[in-house]
Amino acid sequence: MIVCVAVVGHQNNPLYIQSFTEADDALKLHHIVHCSLDVVDERVNNPKRSGPTLNETFLGLLYPTENYKVYGYLTNTKVKFILVTTDLDVRDADVRNFFRRFHSAYVDAVSNPFHVPGKKITSRTFAERVSGIVKSFGLSSAG
Amino acid sequence: MEEYPEELRTPPVALVAVVGCPELHTAISTHLHSEQPPINTLALPDFSKISIIAKRHKEGSDSGQFNGILKRDWLSKHRTMVPAVVAALFSSDHVSGDPAQWLQVCTDLENLKAVIKGRNIKLVLALVAQSTSKDDISEDRMIALRKRAEVDSKYLIAFDLNNPLELKQSLNRLGNAFSELANTYYRDEGRRIKTRLDRKSLSSVELSIRYCFKVAVYAEFRRDWVEALRMYEDAYKTLREMIGTSTRLPPIQRLVEIKTVAEQLHFKISTLLLHGGKVVEAITWFHQHNASYKRLLGEPEVNFLHWEWLSRQFLVFGELLETSAASIQNTSSPVLVATDRVSEWELSSAYYYQLAAQYLKEKRSCLELTLSMSETVTDIDSNAESVAPSVYVGQFARLLEQGDTYVMQPLTDEEYVRYALAEGKRFQDFFEIMALLKRSFESYTNFNAQRMASYCGFEMAREYFAVNDYTNAKEIFYSIASTYRKEGWVNLLWEVLGYLRECSKNLGKMKDFVEYSLEMAALPVSSVAGIQSLGFKECGPAGPATGAQREIIHTEVFELVRGETGLASNKGSNNFKVTSDQPVRLDIDLVSPLRVVLLASVAFHEQIVKPGVSTSITLSLLSQLPHSVDIDQLDIQFNQSACNFTVVNGQRPKSDEISDGMMGQRVETAPVLVLSTNKWLRITYDIKSEQSGKLECISVIARLGPYFTISCMVESPAALNDLPLWKFEDRMETFPIKDPGLAFSAQKAIQVEEPDPQVDVKLGTSGPALVGENFAVPVTISAMAHSVYSGELKINLVDTRGGGLLSPTEVVDPASADSLHVELRGISGLQCEDESQSGIEKIRKIQHAFGLISVPFLKEGDSWSCNLEIRWHRPKPIMLYVSLGYSPHSDDQSTQKVHVHKSLEIEGKTAVVFSHNYMLPFRQDPLLLSKLKAGLNSDQMPSLPLNETSVLIVTTKNSAEVPLQLLSMFIEAEDDSDSGNSITVRQSDPLETSLLVPGEGFKKVFAVTPEVNTPTLKMGTVCLRWRRDGDSTSSDSEVVTKYRLGDIKVESPPLVVKLDCPPHAVLGNPFTYFVRIQNRTHLLQEIKFLLADSQSFVLSGSHNDRVFILPRSEHILSYKVVPLASGSQLLPRVTVTSVRYSAGFQPSVASSSIFVFPSEPHFEMTDAGVRPESITAK
Repeated sequence: MIVCVAVVGHQNNPLYIQSFTEADDALKLHHIVHCSLDVVDERVNNPKRSGPTLNETFLGLLYPTENYKVYGYLTNTKVKFILVTTDLDVRDADVRNFFRRFHSAYVDAVSNPFHVPGKKITSRTFAERVSGIVKSFGLSSAG
Repeated sequence: MEEYPEELRTPPVALVAVVGCPELHTAISTHLHSEQPPINTLALPDFSKISIIAKRHKEGSDSGQFNGILKRDWLSKHRTMVPAVVAALFSSDHVSGDPAQWLQVCTDLENLKAVIKGRNIKLVLALVAQSTSKDDISEDRMIALRKRAEVDSKYLIAFDLNNPLELKQSLNRLGNAFSELANTYYRDEGRRIKTRLDRKSLSSVELSIRYCFKVAVYAEFRRDWVEALRMYEDAYKTLREMIGTSTRLPPIQRLVEIKTVAEQLHFKISTLLLHGGKVVEAITWFHQHNASYKRLLGEPEVNFLHWEWLSRQFLVFGELLETSAASIQNTSSPVLVATDRVSEWELSSAYYYQLAAQYLKEKRSCLELTLSMSETVTDIDSNAESVAPSVYVGQFARLLEQGDTYVMQPLTDEEYVRYALAEGKRFQDFFEIMALLKRSFESYTNFNAQRMASYCGFEMAREYFAVNDYTNAKEIFYSIASTYRKEGWVNLLWEVLGYLRECSKNLGKMKDFVEYSLEMAALPVSSVAGIQSLGFKECGPAGPATGAQREIIHTEVFELVRGETGLASNKGSNNFKVTSDQPVRLDIDLVSPLRVVLLASVAFHEQIVKPGVSTSITLSLLSQLPHSVDIDQLDIQFNQSACNFTVVNGQRPKSDEISDGMMGQRVETAPVLVLSTNKWLRITYDIKSEQSGKLECISVIARLGPYFTISCMVESPAALNDLPLWKFEDRMETFPIKDPGLAFSAQKAIQVEEPDPQVDVKLGTSGPALVGENFAVPVTISAMAHSVYSGELKINLVDTRGGGLLSPTEVVDPASADSLHVELRGISGLQCEDESQSGIEKIRKIQHAFGLISVPFLKEGDSWSCNLEIRWHRPKPIMLYVSLGYSPHSDDQSTQKVHVHKSLEIEGKTAVVFSHNYMLPFRQDPLLLSKLKAGLNSDQMPSLPLNETSVLIVTTKNSAEVPLQLLSMFIEAEDDSDSGNSITVRQSDPLETSLLVPGEGFKKVFAVTPEVNTPTLKMGTVCLRWRRDGDSTSSDSEVVTKYRLGDIKVESPPLVVKLDCPPHAVLGNPFTYFVRIQNRTHLLQEIKFLLADSQSFVLSGSHNDRVFILPRSEHILSYKVVPLASGSQLLPRVTVTSVRYSAGFQPSVASSSIFVFPSEPHFEMTDAGVRPESITAK
């Protein structure tokens, strides 16, 4: 189950962060997302380590904490998408698919003429779309 | 890792024993220890001690009842007590000695054999030859000994103590034998156990695990790491299967035992993997280990044991990883890289320490919970002391004293829980957690992983906070707050600030408390609906990050700073209050996080202003606090303190405290001074400055209550930075000034101009300057309404056509004046009305295009003047800039100088223009061959005949607009001509001063006789001395203008034709007309001539002929001519042609004209006074 998704701007500032847990661990998730930016930095600054996939937007597993898995995605404009999930056995294809849909939702949200680039995303539509994507995560593979 | 026993942490080392001959033991053990691989030695001084290594009888092992999995002391026993090989050392004396000694040897050997038989220990014999031995041991005895010991001959080693070299060899042989036999021993033992294992008829799982472990240890003894790893893994897997099945022990203790054994096995496996460089495999293994045991929490009352165990797994693995990473780096193996399975942080020990700390915290909270729930707290202590670890790994038992011996009695789970709780209470988890977090923090900082480090710091600070160590907590929270602030993680920042605020409160730091409270109140938390508000239960002292909480904090802090409430501190019971004794003053600079609380921007509406003229200034204030804030008073401060002023809130009653200390300052009253959220408060006032220079607004001090001030550094609207944190928010952004033009350009500083000068500088001029003369430009300074103190006059010459360079850039020698086009020569005519001051030392600095002179003190109404002397070397227009800087007051030097600038364009013109030409003597024409060749080309050098006197005419023309007086003109020979070249120039007397009006020319004639035959002869330079008409006759104003004459060519003519006739003729009177043709060559010259008739004359003589002229001789054609008409008439024209040179000659019209008088004229001749003077130019 996805517990948190986040959009992080190119100055590493949060643009959108939403957790989907019943339990009150949102602060902990904030910390996890924030810490995973270190890994993103590390991968971006040392592209050799991440292998031949230099132009790949999908960063893969960033940060296996004990209870969560954190995946990352980096757009061309250096906007990062972070996904925190409690599923310990996640298929790469599912994560990629999720990020692809999340990215297009983000693109639609920032293409809004009333959105100022670099500011937090406050669109309600975007939030609804993201929760839809989150809910359908992993379903396609299961069904 | 340190809590593991030594034998587990280090790889096992083979053990051998030596018996007898104790004097050799040190040498042997030292040698064996330095072997590769090393061997440990158990030294037994004599044979009576061999019972140590004897196999003891086990009591319960064969009964089929297994009380545990691994025996606690088995490994250490095999490392320190049970040797693989025993070496029996016999003195050779004893062997070869009398039968009693021999018998003793045999008995000892039999005893030893009996002891080692049970353990399959291998035997080595050594014969030590003592120094006193008389002869060798007999062969028979040797064989007998060997037979008796049943050893191979190569395991019988002789030592000769006398010979060090042989001793060394013997030691080597002994070492080889030991390692060989030890290997065999451990292999055999391993095989023996393994066959038992393979039989599959084992009665219990425990035994299977134990055998696997033993086989692995034996494999390690002989350094077979692969086998060891495999067996350890087998043991581990079997153990894992045992969890659900075993019923041997009560459930709690059973789980504890299994976990402890699993920990040991896992430790061995990880160590082996990491030493083998298989880091990724080790990490994967660790994951599996973790995954399989993590959920085995056990009974709730002892689940703290589980967390402790888990924490230890992480700590130990982290330590292992750290040590192996250090050894890997030392051996420069390929760098570890992250793979798909393992991410970057899993390779670093920091990750494991962090998690170890996390689990330790979990343990602590569980322990606390259990302790609080257990009612038998007092019982725990009373029962605990007699419980001790039992003989099996991971088991505990009660020690019961029975007389002299202790008896182990198994525990019930209840007893065990009490024991574990008592043990748990003894530990100080706080220090352990802090140590782990600190290690993790440092490690992350080294990796430059700041966010991870911040998180660890956050955890550390929280620990400190939990134990009321506010000073340390505050320090760490402070350092990590900046990270979150920088990246705009508002919710995390809110949490940290909440802790900081609480720390400040508990430490009694009023100012910090106010700062953090204000910052929190101004944070953009959940101000937007789209971002989820955090409603977590475990939120810190700040409370949930919501807008409502911000408002609460805002209200709280403003009640505090207005002195209405106090601050309850934990330090003592006294309330802190903001009073007149403890006022609070906050400073907000350009990088302060408190800019969100108060942002001040000041804009001057103009950029430049005259002193004393008022201009508008707009002060704009912005706050993001959730409620509006009433400001009592604003102090606006400038760098010119005279301009400071105060704005008072008109709605507030003036209190005495506020009006204090601003006597004499300007006070304005504003009708309303309320700061609303995210809305600029703009107030505009007039301001004027009397002092020239920069007027800059520095700070705005806002008073909010009697004892609370915020000093805010102001910013220019044009250079206004984004508000930190709020810049990411979707909020309404407005400009500090309504006028959009000003909003983008206005500055917080204004330039106040210097006062208008009251001194006049005049530049006089007298028309254009002439090249060569010292042109004087008079400068007059007249002080009108200002006195001039410490005046300085700067002079600058600039090329009008741009470039500005008066001297050509390619000048090699800048000192030579000729290379400069225009030059400032000096200042003359310095005069001062007050003569006594003329002696003051003056600054005078003159360069080619720049000058600096000091101006003496001038009273109002005085004037002072000087002349600038400028000399032109080329005709060129220039701009002359003169600027006077002075201060109008004598008292202070710091006041700004007043400047007056003047400029003047002056044109430099050429005064005189020269031209010259050469003429041959009248009626004498030498044949110049170069003229023939050149034809009509006129640009050739003029040619002059050798040794003939020619005429040079130099013409000068006044091209200036003023009349000039010519003083003299002469030709100066050039010095650098060769000594052979010489020319005679006859010059007339220095001419009388003659006036040359503009446009008029002046000619002078020189007679020139070349004396050397040369293709180029330098003629020298014409020097003309002149001055402006009307100037004084002093030599200062005299100018010498030079004109260089072009080079000439000197030729010796082969033929010269001279016409010879009288100067005039009289009608009817005959005269003779000669044409002399001189041949100056030493060749015979053929000459043709032709005479044309003229109507005005009758003549006799040959018309037409061809003659030959001998070398160096002259042929004369003579004609008798009678004029028939009067007036100027042309003589009959003769044409001479030289055949050799194909050159024809016809006299010019001028030279063949003659004036014929009608009758004999009468002349009165006077002396013209021309006396030729000769100079010889060398």
